[in-house]
Order: sequence, then structure tokens, then C-alpha cells
Amino acid sequence: MNLKELYQEIILEHGKNPRNLRKTEGFNKDAKGNNPLCGDNVHVYLKLNGQKIVEDASFEGSGCAISMASASIMTDLIKGKNEHEAKEIVEDFLGMIKENPELKSKYLNEDEKTKLMCLSGVKQYPMRVKCATLSWHTMVSAFDEKTEEVKTEN
Amino acid sequence: MNIDQIKKEFPIFDEKIQNNDLVYLDSANSSQKPKIVVDRINEFYTKQFSNVGRSVHYLAVAATNLYENTRSSVQKYINAKDKNEIVFTKGATEALNLVANTLGQSYLQEGDEVLITELEHHSNYVPWHFLRKSKNIKINFAEINEEGEITLEEIEKKITPKTKLISITHLSNVTGAILPVKEITQLAHSKGIIVVVDGCQGAPHLKLDMQDLGCDFYAISCHKMYGPTGLGVLYGKKKWLEELPPYQGGGGMINEVKKDRISYGELPNKYEAGTMATAQVIAFDQSIKFLESIGIENVMKHEADLVEYGQELLQKNNSVKLIGNPKNKGGVLSFTIEGVHPHDIATILDEDGVAIRAGHHCCQILHDKLNIPASARASVGIYNTKEDLDQLNESINNCKKIFNL
Ligand SMILES: Cc1ncc(COP(=O)(O)O)c(C=O)c1O
Repeated sequence: MNLKELYQEIILEHGKNPRNLRKTEGFNKDAKGNNPLCGDNVHVYLKLNGQKIVEDASFEGSGCAISMASASIMTDLIKGKNEHEAKEIVEDFLGMIKENPELKSKYLNEDEKTKLMCLSGVKQYPMRVKCATLSWHTMVSAFDEKTEEVKTEN
Repeated sequence: MNIDQIKKEFPIFDEKIQNNDLVYLDSANSSQKPKIVVDRINEFYTKQFSNVGRSVHYLAVAATNLYENTRSSVQKYINAKDKNEIVFTKGATEALNLVANTLGQSYLQEGDEVLITELEHHSNYVPWHFLRKSKNIKINFAEINEEGEITLEEIEKKITPKTKLISITHLSNVTGAILPVKEITQLAHSKGIIVVVDGCQGAPHLKLDMQDLGCDFYAISCHKMYGPTGLGVLYGKKKWLEELPPYQGGGGMINEVKKDRISYGELPNKYEAGTMATAQVIAFDQSIKFLESIGIENVMKHEADLVEYGQELLQKNNSVKLIGNPKNKGGVLSFTIEGVHPHDIATILDEDGVAIRAGHHCCQILHDKLNIPASARASVGIYNTKEDLDQLNESINNCKKIFNL
């Protein structure tokens, strides 16, 4: 267990001042997610342009530092990616959060990888994994245009 | 009363939890178990096991007697008039579902109103919601005041000519408010209204006297009362339990079964269908003995001291905001810290071995009312000390430090 690893400065900073905590104007994809155990909820908005590239991503919701930081970092780095790239990044991230020691996706640059790796501390806190993953599952659901709310079961 | 001595009766406090001494402040969720309860389960399974009420062999008869002994102990402990007013269930949740279901089958009619409060745990709301769906009853909510209390006046205000039933918690698992159940019951009965009490938080911490309280039903959760999981008690006035239909059908609850007709058994078997949580029931007798050996007056005094101490500590701690400030308060300290989400608080406190709960504590209605998604909750039991609360405060300070507050 290592609290310092979990609550790194960058997570605290994103948790406190989340990027993209708003509703994208003219969004064309969105989905809601919630964590029934904690009552945390998130609403992810995406705006894809004609080339199916994410022009803007944002979210609304409330949650712990981990979930806010995760949604903040996610919405930041997903901009400029297309659906295929975004989904590969999601897979990569979920794999890292659960077991993989590092991120492999070619669609992530070093800076993005470093940021995301800050969230790897939750691995040691099984009850908190879903805090980190909720917004990511919700984003996939938005791409897939699922109307059902995402519920995290880790 | 020597708390150190009492604490020694709980084996868990000999354990190191992630290299820390355990500071257990989650008793409102579930209490720890004294050794005599744990040992009793083991002893029953290793030396005395048999199913109850089914066979005539020696072990079955002995087990049946032990099982029924607990019923008598519970009756005495809560001062019920009759042994048959005690029904074992799988928990308080099942007890409340039993009441709602059977009253729904044979008593409540379309358009009838059930009055509950904003403090209720989901298990004292959802079962009534089922009836809202299936029978078109209406559910009204008595509202909390500034202090997080439900007053007699508020209940009186919310009673209408259609109110048939009031279902309330004895002690809020979030604000700690102790409701004036006796007065509410008197008022309700004067208007022909039934009273159901969710006694989950009341039973482990307050003096129980069903004849004095006067309510029609009272639900108890044994695992919060220094007893085993998988067990609850429903107290119900005999006239109700006799009048209402059975809840579940199966073995043990019948009198006679024919192809064209079935008659049901007498109390208490009528409500105890199937093989019950035998070992747990038998071990629960030891939980009652444990509480009796300390004396409920002593329990109440000790816990009141702890709450007062904890409340003062947290009130003095900047950026900690206590939820509710009821005059009559049980051993629950719910709080938020400006700028730190309750889950982060709980994770950080856990690192110091301080076990609290974070979330909505199955009270979403209340959290919506307070306009917060979640809260952190420290709750005490007989084994807690002022040092535990000092540690709580210190770990909260550490949490603030991590978050640069
Ligand atoms: C106020 C209240 N009611 C009901 C319950 C449910 O009790 P049980 O776990 O015995 O079903 C709880 C416990 O979580 C509670 O605190």
C-alpha cells in the first residue's frame, strides 16, 4: 500500500481543477455512468467532426479525486483521436489499471502515458479501481450510442 | 466498566490490520463479534449440530431447545409480552420486507398512505415502494429539520386521514438522531395508524422495551448487535402476526398439506419457512448475554460520552462539517471535509487502520436532501475508546495535509 502513489500531486491537481468539466456545446454523442455503491455519477459528452475525429470531449458529474482526475485526463487526451484510436486507448488504460505494468498504445505520446500512469496506484486499492474506470466505460458507451446507464462492477 | 477488558473479549482487536492496530469505527454498518459468540458457533457445529424442529432424535431435540432458548432470551431482552412475538429472519431487511409484504397482501388498500421519513435506510423504503407499484399505495415523507431530526410535530403534520401506517427508524444511521418513537406511536395509535420501527441502529445501543414503546412491529439486525450475520429478528404484536398471512411458503410453516388445501402452522413457525440460520440463532443468545453482562445503561452511557467527545473534536477541526446536530443523538458521526471526497477520506484513514464508511449509507433520499452525493461516517460500539476518536481526528488531519488543506 502506498498512499503517496495513489494521491500524487497530478491527481490532486486534476481532482481539484478538473479539465473539461462542462457540457460540450453541440455534442453528438453522450452517455451516463454511475457507481451505485458510492453514488458517484458522470455524464460524458463527445463532439465528433465530419471525419469522425473527437473535436471536443467533456464531462459533468461528481466523485472522488481519483474519478475526477481520471475523467479530466481522459477528456483531455482523447481530443483529436478517432473512435478506433480512442477505443484502443481505453483498452490499454483498463489493462494497465487492472494488471499490465505499462501502457502500450501507439496512439499515446510519452507525456500522455506519464499522466495516465499516475492513476496506476489504484491497482493496490481494489475498491477504488471502479472510481478510475467509470468515465472510461462511459465514454465507450457514448461512442456505441448506448442509452443504458453504465454501472461499474469493476 | 472497564473498556479495555471488554475490548479483550473481541479477538479481532488482537489482529494487526495492514500492520496497524484496528481502530474500528464502522459499527453502524456491522459490529465486531465477541469471542463467546464466535466460539458458540464453532461449538454448535462441532459438538451439537442438528437441524431443528424436524426429527425426534437426541441432537434434534437439543438443538430445537437451544434455538427456542434464544427466542425466549430475545423476548426478555426486548420485553415483548409473548415469546411468539419473536420471529427470526435473515436480517432486518427481510423483517421489513415481511411486514410490508404481508400488510400489502391483506391490510393496505389502493390509495392508502404510508408515512416514512427522509432518514430511512433503503430497506425501510424500497419494500413500501413495491406496494406503491403493486397496490397503488402512496408514500409520504416526513422531513428532517435543520438538526437532522424528525420531530413529533413533523410527523403529526404529515398524517392525513388516509395514513394507515407509519414506518420509521429508531435511530438514524447517518445523523444519529433518535426519534421519539413512543410519542409517535401514541399519536399514531390514537388515529388507528400502525407503527413499524426499523430498529437496526436502536437495538444495539438503546434500551429496548416493546411494551413501553408500544409499536406494532420492530425490526432488528443481529449482526449489528454483536451477533452473527444472516440473522434478524422481527418483533410483531401477536394480534398482527396471527392475523396476517404467511410470507414465504415451504417446510416448517405448514399445519396440513393436501392436494386441494393447505393450512398453515401456528406462531412462530408460520413465519419461519425452511431451514433457518440455526447456528446463528443459537449463537445470538451469547450476544444477548454479552450485552446483559455489561448492562444497557452502561452501554448507553459509554457511547453517549464517546459521541460527545468525538463531536467536540470534529467541531473544532477546521474544514470538517458534521452532518446533523440532533439533541438526542446515538453513536454516529457523519461528516464531510470541504475539498475532499468521502471515498478519498476513507481510503486515507484506512491507511492508519481507521475503518470508517464512505458513501450514501443506503440513505440516498437523505443525501439528496442534504445536497451531497456522499458522506464519511464514523460510528462507535461498546469497544471504542476516546483514543480511537483521537486517532480518527489525527488521521483526518493527515488527510487534510495530503490534500493541501
Ligand atoms: C437503519 C438500517 N436499516 C436497515 C438495515 C439493514 O439491516 P440488515 O443488514 O440486517 O438487513 C441497516 C443496515 O445496514 C440499517 O442501518
